Amino acid sequence: MNRSWYWRLGTVIGVALIAVWFLIPTYYSFVVLPKADRNNVEMLAKVLPKWAPPATYRLRLGLDLQGGIHMVMRVDTKTALQKRVERRGDSIVAYLREKGFGEVTSVADPQLLELALTAKDPAAMDKIQPEVVKDYQDFNVVSRDGNKLLLGLKDNQVSRFQEDAVDQAMLVIRRRIDKWGVAEVDVRKLGTDAIQISLPGQQDPEQAKELIGTTAQLEFRMVDDTQPFFANLFKSNPPPADSGITLTKEDGFPQLVGKDRDGLLAYVKGHVPADREVLLECVQDGTVKKGSCNGYRTYLVDKSVPLTGESLASADASVDQMGTPEVDLSFDAQGGKDFGNLTEKNVGKRMAIVLDDNVNSAPRINEKIPNGRARITLGGAGKGYDEKLQEAKDLALVLKAGALPAPVSVGEIRQVGASLGDELIHKGSMAVVVGFLLVVAFMAMYYRGAGLIADVALLLNAALILAGLALFNATLTLPGLAGFILTLGIAVDANVLINERIREELAMGKSARVSVDQGYDRAFWTIFDAHVTTLIAALILFFTGTGPVRGFATTLIIGLLASLFTSIVVTRVISTYVVHGRNAQTVSV
Amino acid sequence: MQIIKHKTNIDFIGKRKPALFISTVLNLAILVGIAIFGFNFGVDFAGGTVVEVKFNHDVHADEVRHRAQQGGLHDVTVQGIGSSDEHSFLIRMGGVTQLTKESALTAEQAIKGVGPVQTVYSDLDNGLVNVRATQKLDPAKLKAAVEATGTGVKEVRDLGPTQNGAEDYQIVASGMADRVFAALSHGLDKPDFQQDRVDYVGPEIGKQLRNRGVMALFYSMLAILVYVAFRFDFKFGPGALLAMVHDVIMVSGYYLVSRREFNLTSIAVLLTITGYSINDTIVIYDRIREEMARFKGKPLPEIINIAVNDTLARTILTSGVTAISLIGLLIFGVGEIWDFAAAMMVGIIVGTYSSVYIASPLVIWLDERAHHKAKHGQSASEPKAA
Repeated sequence: MNRSWYWRLGTVIGVALIAVWFLIPTYYSFVVLPKADRNNVEMLAKVLPKWAPPATYRLRLGLDLQGGIHMVMRVDTKTALQKRVERRGDSIVAYLREKGFGEVTSVADPQLLELALTAKDPAAMDKIQPEVVKDYQDFNVVSRDGNKLLLGLKDNQVSRFQEDAVDQAMLVIRRRIDKWGVAEVDVRKLGTDAIQISLPGQQDPEQAKELIGTTAQLEFRMVDDTQPFFANLFKSNPPPADSGITLTKEDGFPQLVGKDRDGLLAYVKGHVPADREVLLECVQDGTVKKGSCNGYRTYLVDKSVPLTGESLASADASVDQMGTPEVDLSFDAQGGKDFGNLTEKNVGKRMAIVLDDNVNSAPRINEKIPNGRARITLGGAGKGYDEKLQEAKDLALVLKAGALPAPVSVGEIRQVGASLGDELIHKGSMAVVVGFLLVVAFMAMYYRGAGLIADVALLLNAALILAGLALFNATLTLPGLAGFILTLGIAVDANVLINERIREELAMGKSARVSVDQGYDRAFWTIFDAHVTTLIAALILFFTGTGPVRGFATTLIIGLLASLFTSIVVTRVISTYVVHGRNAQTVSV
Repeated sequence: MQIIKHKTNIDFIGKRKPALFISTVLNLAILVGIAIFGFNFGVDFAGGTVVEVKFNHDVHADEVRHRAQQGGLHDVTVQGIGSSDEHSFLIRMGGVTQLTKESALTAEQAIKGVGPVQTVYSDLDNGLVNVRATQKLDPAKLKAAVEATGTGVKEVRDLGPTQNGAEDYQIVASGMADRVFAALSHGLDKPDFQQDRVDYVGPEIGKQLRNRGVMALFYSMLAILVYVAFRFDFKFGPGALLAMVHDVIMVSGYYLVSRREFNLTSIAVLLTITGYSINDTIVIYDRIREEMARFKGKPLPEIINIAVNDTLARTILTSGVTAISLIGLLIFGVGEIWDFAAAMMVGIIVGTYSSVYIASPLVIWLDERAHHKAKHGQSASEPKAA
């Protein structure tokens, strides 16, 4: 036995141990924990031994095996774009009137996203055209004919708008799901105009559609700061010590802060005056991923809604001359008047910007804002410029989401009941066990000693696939189970090729030692090529597939990579030991 | 143990013409069949709703269909799945929402009764009714009016004012799935079934998924072809490509003839087959290359025949082992997974056949053509030189 053999043996044993080690959290989540807590990472972390990998590295079941809802929402950017073009038309007409260019009419073409402006005569249009081109840079001039000017929305505007619309919709969906309190939710962008949502354990697709598919509501509501409501409540009726609710001050206004949304709402329930309501704002400190909260703070707001997002024409994040990030808002004509009246009556008070019953921000009104154009400056001491700019962008996104929501419609829903999931797990694992045993038995019968060696490698391959899935946080789906057993069938092909080659060399009268060595050497590139072609197909399936089919591709990819190692390296270490170490003169193949 | 003896000597190359002929005819027949009859597209590609229900007592598919019709669901197909003692059925509806041609008409009439409506138009694909009115309408009233006609309404969206002072509204119809539950439990105190699974795919997404599937197939074939051409020789490329195309068409033929649902899983099967069936071809090609180096000067057809014969055992064994691994799925799998295993099985068998009878002979054919051309080129250039 030469030195490199010992190295390879060490590698094989190391890889096998690591694979088994990575399967420990999976073992605990399936066997030790009760079924209801299978998805409870915190619980799992408690029962795991200290030396085990973190609880997040566990094999999860796909929605089709544990029950739940998978949905794809389509963001209908077309409707929103049409609306936007119409509104821009109104804005142009108002702007020209204000600047003294006379009366202009604007007609929008919803299909082509074009605006036809008509002035009273060609001469007037000659003056208007440069003005419009300069101030409305999101439009191109399509054609000009006498007193008619045809404008078209620029292509980059369309794509930017689509991106914004999907981001807005995702934001709204994330917040709503957060409110629903579903664990292990996954929300991600799918292509350019769709959002994929996974809700494990959820059973009612209609309820999910209702929750996710309805259009966002943006409201401007006044905060009641006339009485220290929260301070009084905290004093007269202190919350239980274990609730984690504390009283703090923000900008001098007392408020309650807590980690648990429902706990906060339950605590204030019954104490709120009839015409007031307690709403929560999500607190984020950057340690949690975007879209989730690590705490909530309270606001006491008027129940009445003086202004809604419908009056809002646009919202954009920018930086003022002093370099402070801010959000610029502009309202439509009626909205501007309402906003002027509202701000006049409430100078000094705070106005809550509420999207879907979540407070996003509550800027203080410093003075009357008459012209329908407002500016929200992002304050807050101790925050960096980047952080403030990000906040401004987020707020602008919230405002846009409420101002001009792109309707979302359900593109795809797949719901699996929990009992069906259990049945599928049972049948799927039976199928895998039967397939596996048949392959193992065949190899042992057909190739005897060499077959048994291949079987050992196959077992390690199975462990590696499961460990790989756990490591990459992939989920095991029903097609994934099919892919698992199919991969094992493909993996053992490599050993068939090697063993046939060894038989061939033996038939030529070569010694056992030479036959084994040459069998491995000569079969290597064939096996490598065969794996690469299947990998190519699997990778393409992975990048184009969705949902459970993707699980199949993942399993196939991990399995093929593992197979290159187990079928070639692992079996060779054992075979080499047999013919070189034990110095066997015959080889059982 | 040995099933296939080590030295076979079958004349594969001699039989290549009838084999190619039969394969070509079969492939063309399948393509024509697809053009005429089409696949039985699943909801993934056709769009629509599938609901899986499980009854707690013995019930026949006809009875389920009858109940659905009693409850007002007309265009449904009911199909039993699994063994009969499981009482499970798939109920499939083409419609995506409750808005159909007829129900949209009555709904539009009802909307006009609500107020001064300028235009109404229904978008059946997305289950929407778009309304433009000359003054503000009460969304609740719109909803009530449409629901009175029997079409469920999920939401009425107030899209706000347009220019010229008109108001836009959008009425979103409810999905089919909740209708199934109501229809099947029609007239019962307590439902005697549970809704196990709902698959709903909108027509737009269905079209997208279909296009994406076809593109994925195309790209993977292209990528594999490039790899084979790069690793071997350019003259091996066409054989490998045609073998892949052959296998994909044959497996599609299985879906065509069996009328099994063609869905995302089918695309996964086709892709896996393109990647896997080429493996046998690679084994043979590798051997051809090896033999070509060993027996320089021997005619190519003979070399190929030796290579195919020498590798016959492993060609059959590798496919056989993979096929064995699928047996468990064929015994215990239901629905989609059984379909997956069955189609994979077909793919493995035709893949083995195509490696021997299509991929290998095509190397000769190309070689002969190249020789032929070279000869012609020579004879054509000779007079010039003279």
